[in-house]
Formats: sequence, C-alpha cells, structure tokens
Amino acid sequence: MQHQVQQAEIVTRPKARPSFWSRMVRQRQLIFMSFPMVFYIILFAYIPIWGWMFAFQQYKPGLPIFEQKWVGFAQFDFLFNDAAFLRVLRNTIAMSLISLVLSFVTAIGFAVLLNEIRKSFIKRSIQTISYLPHFLSWVIVTGLVSTALSTEDGIVNVVLMKLHIISEPVVWLGEGKYFWWIVGFANVWKELGWNTIIFLAAIAAIDPSLYEAAEMDGANRYRKMWHITLPGIKPVIVILLILNIGWLLNGGGFEVQYFLGSGQVIDWSETIDIFVLKYGLRLGNYSLGVAAGIFKTVVSIILILLANEAAKRLGDERLI
Amino acid sequence: MGVSAKKSAIWLLMLVLAFSVVMAGCSKSSSPDESASPSTGTEGDSGSDKPEPLTISIFYNVPGPIPTDDNRIYKKIKDELNVTLKEEYLVGDLEQKLGVMIAGGDYPDMISANTKLKDGGAVIPLEDLIEQHAPNLKKHYSKVWNQLKDPDDGHIYWLPNYGVYQGEFKPTQHQGPAFFIQRAVLKEFGYPTIKTLDEYFKLIEDYKAKYPEIDGQPTIGFTVLGYDWRDWSLRGVPQFLSGHPNDGAVQVDEETNTAIIYEGTDIAKPYYKKLNEMNAKGLIDKEGFAQNYDQYLAKIASGRVLGMFDQRWNFQQGEDSLISQGKPERAYVGIPITYDPSIRDHFLDRPPVNLGNGFGITVNAKDPVKIIKFLDTLMDPYWQKIFGWGEEGIDYHVDENGRFYRTPEQRAEQQDVTWRQRNKAESLYGQLPKLEGLYPDGNADTPGNQPEEFFADLKPIDQEILNAYGFKTWTDFFSDPPENRVSYPAWNIDLIEGSPAKVADQKVKDLSFKYLPKAILSKPEDFEKVWAEYAAEIAKVDTKPWLDRVNEQLKWRAENWGSSN
Repeated sequence: MQHQVQQAEIVTRPKARPSFWSRMVRQRQLIFMSFPMVFYIILFAYIPIWGWMFAFQQYKPGLPIFEQKWVGFAQFDFLFNDAAFLRVLRNTIAMSLISLVLSFVTAIGFAVLLNEIRKSFIKRSIQTISYLPHFLSWVIVTGLVSTALSTEDGIVNVVLMKLHIISEPVVWLGEGKYFWWIVGFANVWKELGWNTIIFLAAIAAIDPSLYEAAEMDGANRYRKMWHITLPGIKPVIVILLILNIGWLLNGGGFEVQYFLGSGQVIDWSETIDIFVLKYGLRLGNYSLGVAAGIFKTVVSIILILLANEAAKRLGDERLI
Repeated sequence: MGVSAKKSAIWLLMLVLAFSVVMAGCSKSSSPDESASPSTGTEGDSGSDKPEPLTISIFYNVPGPIPTDDNRIYKKIKDELNVTLKEEYLVGDLEQKLGVMIAGGDYPDMISANTKLKDGGAVIPLEDLIEQHAPNLKKHYSKVWNQLKDPDDGHIYWLPNYGVYQGEFKPTQHQGPAFFIQRAVLKEFGYPTIKTLDEYFKLIEDYKAKYPEIDGQPTIGFTVLGYDWRDWSLRGVPQFLSGHPNDGAVQVDEETNTAIIYEGTDIAKPYYKKLNEMNAKGLIDKEGFAQNYDQYLAKIASGRVLGMFDQRWNFQQGEDSLISQGKPERAYVGIPITYDPSIRDHFLDRPPVNLGNGFGITVNAKDPVKIIKFLDTLMDPYWQKIFGWGEEGIDYHVDENGRFYRTPEQRAEQQDVTWRQRNKAESLYGQLPKLEGLYPDGNADTPGNQPEEFFADLKPIDQEILNAYGFKTWTDFFSDPPENRVSYPAWNIDLIEGSPAKVADQKVKDLSFKYLPKAILSKPEDFEKVWAEYAAEIAKVDTKPWLDRVNEQLKWRAENWGSSN
C-alpha cells in the first residue's frame, strides 16, 4: 500500500501540491482498505488501555470498577521493592537475549545454507521437517526436553557418557546454571525452521543477476553468500531485530520456563511473567499483573525507539 | 523520499505479509464451549412421574478419575432423577484456572471449593437454601452447622465432603499423612518394627542394595513430591516428626492454641539433614524435586519407589494401578515415625470436618433450588449406598442378616481402574456431601470400612503383614488419636486472597521449594551452610501478618466452635 502511495506522490510531484482533502478523495480506496486494520488496532490495542487503572487499585473481582479501592502506586511499590524483582528482571532479559541471539544466528545460517541446496525436493523436505516442531505446543516440547535431559536413560546423558565427556549423569534441569541455555536451545529446536521462512523469502527476492555478475567476477559459493546473500537480507534482519527487541521483557516465552522450571532452579528460571503469576494472579491480586504489564509496555516502547534510533544512526533500514 | 525509502517500504510490505501468514497460523480459535449455562432439557419424553430435566455443570479441582460417557451411575442418575451432569475436570494449574474463571465470571453451576471463589463473589450463600429445601443436608450437617459458617460473614458457602460421621467410626485404612514403605521391603526383612528415621532408611538402603533394579528399571529409594499445592511431602513432614497433627504450614501448640512456623527452624532441620545423608548414599530420587504430579503418579505406578512421605489419597491412583497390574507387593504400608520413640505419633487424627472443601453453588446457577434439592436427594441412604457400594445385586449382595457383602468376582472388578471409570462415580462421590460411618441399617459407608469386607479383600501379602505385626487393620500401626483441639486443623484457615498473610505464605513456600532440595542434594559438608542461608532467608520474610491471621482464626474457632461439638 505504502508503495503505491509513494508512486502516486512521485507522479504528482511536478504539479502544484493538491490540497489535503482532494488527496484524501483521490486515495479513498486505499483509505477504505486500511479501515479494518485501523479499527482492529484501536479495538484490541488502544481501547483496552483504560484497564490500566486497575494497576492503581486493589482490584477485587466482582465489584464494579469505580467501587474498587484506589491504592496509588502500592502495586508498583510491591513489584519494584521485592527482593526477587531484580533477579526476575535479570533472568527475563538474559533468557530473551540468549534466545534472540541463538535464534537469529541459527535461523540466518540455516536459511543461507538451505538456499545453497540446488535440489528443490531435498530443500523442501528439509524445510518441512525443520519447521514441524513449531506446531508442537510447549507442553509437549518441554516434556521431550525433560525426557532427553533425564538422568535415567535421557539421550543427552547417555551420549555424553558414551563419549566419556561426563562420568556420571548430570541432573541438567536441577542446576540453575544450565537453565538459561536449556531454554535457549529448546527455543532453537522448536522455532529454527519456522524462523528461517522469512529469511528464505528475503533471499528469494534477491536479484539473480547479482549472483551471475559475481560469478563472472570469479566468486565462489562462500564469496557469494558473504557478499550478496547476507547484504541482500540485511534490511530484513535489522527490521526483525528491532521488532524482537520489543519482546525483550517477555523472556523468550512464558511456557518454557513455567514448565521446565522448578523450585530448585527458581533463581534462574523465574521470569517477570512467572513472578506475576505467582504473586498476582494466584494470590488473587490481579492489579499486580496490570502493574507489571504497564512496566513491560513502557520499557518495550523505550527499547524499540532506542533500537530504531540506533539503526537510523548506522544508516540502515528502520521501522519507524 | 528516495529509492531507499521505497525499498524499505517493499521490505515492510513483505514482512507484513509474512507476519500475517505467521499470525494466521498462530492464532488459535478459542472455542468457549465449556460455557456454564445450564441448558435445561435435553430429553423431551420424560415420563409423568419423572422430575423435570435438569442439567448441572460442574468443575472439579482434581484431574480425575474421569468417568466414561456410558458410566452406569451417571446413567442411573439421569434415568431416575432426570439430571444430566456436565463435568469439567482440572487440566494444569488450579489457581490459574480459577483466576481465569473469576476474571471472566464464567462459572459452572457447581464448583469445588476454593477460597478464591468465595472472595471473588462466585458462590452463593447456602444456609437458607438448605434450611428451606434440603432436610437431609440440614440433618447431616446439624452437629457441625456453626463450623460451616464463614468466619468473616457468617454464611455457608461450601458443603464439606468429608468428616461428618454417623455412629462410631473406626477407619480400616489411614488416608492421611504417613511415611510409606513398600510391602515387599517389609516382607524381605521379616516385618521389622520401624520407629525411627534411621530404621526406616536402613531398610530402604538394604533393599535397594539387594535389588538395584525392579522390573528392569533402577530402584528409587525415596522420592519427594513438591509440586504446586501438593507440597506437604517436601514441606510438611517436620510437624509430624515432632509429634503434632496435620496443621499444614504451621505447628500449633495444644496448650496455648497458638501457631508457629516450623520451616527453617530446628524442628525441621534434623529431618532434612537425614535426607541429606541419605542422598549421599544415593537413596534420594534426585529428579524428584523437579517432577510434576503426573510424573510422580507414574513413578509410583511403576512399582520401583520403595518409600515416600505423603498422604494416602494423594498417591492412591498410582497404587490402584499397581494393584490392577497384579503387583500387590509393591503397594504401600503407612507407618508413623517420630524424631524420638518417646514422642507419641499423631499422624492418625480424628477426622475434622473437611472445611473449605466439597461443592459450592455459583452465582451463574440458574436454579439453585433445584440443585440443592438434587444434592439433598443424593444424601438419601439409597443414593449413598449406590455411590459407596454400587447397585445391589450387581456390585454387592445382602446376606440374611442384612449385611452387605461382595463376591470375589465383584471385589476383583473393583480393583480394575478402567472398570471403575465405567461403573463408579468416584470423583463425584469424592466431592459430594456424604454419610460416613454407618448407615441406619448398620452397614458401613463403603466396603473398605465394613470389617468382613475389609478382611475378605486383603491380599495374601496383606494378611501376612497384618498377622506378622499382630494387627487387625492398617490403622493399628498408628497410635489412637486423642480428641482434636477445637480449632484443629489450621491448614484450612482462609488467609484471604491478596493479603500480606497470603504473600508471606507464598514467600515461605518459594524459599522452601528453592532451599530444601538444595539442602538435601548438597554435599554433606555443605549442608550446614545451605541450611543457615535458608533459615536466614525465612527469618527475613515478614511472617507476622500470616501468623496474626492464623492465630486470630484459631482463637475465633476456640470461642465459636467449642459449643457446637
């Protein structure tokens, strides 16, 4: 849409700039087309913001909203002053970053390699197989992960024992220091194939004449990957990164820590969402959940703006 | 407005397209078909003598056992009372499920008790309904009527499912907390008497050394479940070792009726130190601390767990499975253990009314009168026998003296888990108000408590064990329970959702979930260090609001319940 808007502008540029209303009338089809989307966003993203006032109340279900008790910043106070808060914030960001970096590196690498396969049947088969785990729910994936990491015939322990890397089975899920990485790799296993789809689409859009020209210049496969494929998908990488940075406070998912975590590894596994679930929703204090939601939203917006600004400074594509 | 803007616009467009594909793939179509609306009338051709058709939707706070669609008892309820029960069982985390329910106001007609529901205004007061429409229930609860009332507003919201007895009651099986040990272990070592933790773990150690594998899988010495609200095998043990009954996360002094927190104190320390030593010997299930309830049941059902601390009803499903697999020697005997043989064990208690449990009726129920009448009808001995015993002539017979008995074939059927799902309404019966003790005709509430049936149903290995110890029933392993403190038990005190008391409770729970496994699994030389850290963390929690609330309620009970007993 935006594309066409710009073309229209380019065409009209030499003439005197038409008035705002006449432009509106001329673009009416486009404006009508955007209505459903705008309406959707307003309905589901902006209207619910009025619920933020729960955060300043001691919300009790069942009472009308204006009869609730107002408590000012007490919920935020509880959230930020809890000894666990810094810890859960650290865990959330650490697991997000690990998942983000691992999933980007693996997905880009996998997409580039996949692109090099010439036999389309094999390429498609690999792609299908690798993205199928995406459709499993986390309950199942975490079940598989804990089975694989089990001390009783879990494949990871068995293989490492056979290779004489470890002498006795390691309780992987019982040691906090492994937890972030288990989450990161579980994410990679599940989402790798799915994440490559966008990159593969971007690669497919690269002009083949660039490759031909490189070939004429005597570039081999690796040169072509490095000088054509990767720069070709750089805009997508940057935009996706900016978008993903907005999710930084989501800890790379909620279910995975929730299902794999246990009391033993709580210092490493508890994320903001789990903390809120335990001290907010489970104890019937819904307001705490809203307060945490506001905090996450504000931080996410700041992060996105910062990332966008950084991309602008570096002279790259950007989102806003 | 140059080429680069145009290019990035193309990229953006592509991304939007790609994302919309992704989103379309991700968005789940949430179908709220478990809506709670009681749609009355599914069958039109009801006879003139039949009551009007009624559909009652129910949510259970347990995952099962789930009856089959063609269940015989549900069919009987449908045929005779024209009531269809639409049941939903718990999947996953209870508190979360209830939170969502409350937030959406989306309740079934009847629901298992939870303080959250009362605080959220989800349930209706029942006392007037019972007084006006439910003579059987009124009679049943008359002795404990005052105890049923909510301490805050004086209404009755829940119909407790256990703990109201008719006549003298002597259970044959202890359903509550105990240290459990496999029958095979006792048999192997000639039925020794176990009084201390040392003796208990020595047996497990010896048996595990002798049989490192059971059915081809490694033997597990002692497992500990600490999952969600089922936390007592991890947290609750010390109060029993020190000779106190089950008050949950606090220990209450009989004399002064005041509560203390025992976690992280010297009351608790010797037990966890013992577990730490046992871990060094490889007896503790290292993965146990990360297991969930289903994995725990599966482990029990595999027959390779030699011992654990638990409440019998909590692992009953696993044990049932062992018996239906034909491995009665892998089932468990519960025994009381205290820190010192001079401390009298109080594992077996006189069952108090199971407050804060059983069904309540929600605000969404269209016709509470019909529901309470239905529940009242089920309190009739006719229906109680159907739930407890089954159908006469099919599940049991009556001899010339009016005593109920089962044939060996009928007994065998009862041990088949899948048969029971088709022919019994166990989850429903578990939550319903029920006649316990003796029926007016002198038969016991359930076959397990009918002395003749109990003995006839014992397996050879059971008889061998009981004979070896010179006992008649499983409860003989325990000391006779003294009269209960009026305020007993403290565990069912409502701490009030979102209050500082509840936050303190959750914090201590978090700390125990974190530090107890750590303390148990640490190297023996590190135990003291970990324990000191744990104790210091617990001391940092502001537990005063919690203890204040508990003590205030204990006092209130002592003042208000004393007369009604």
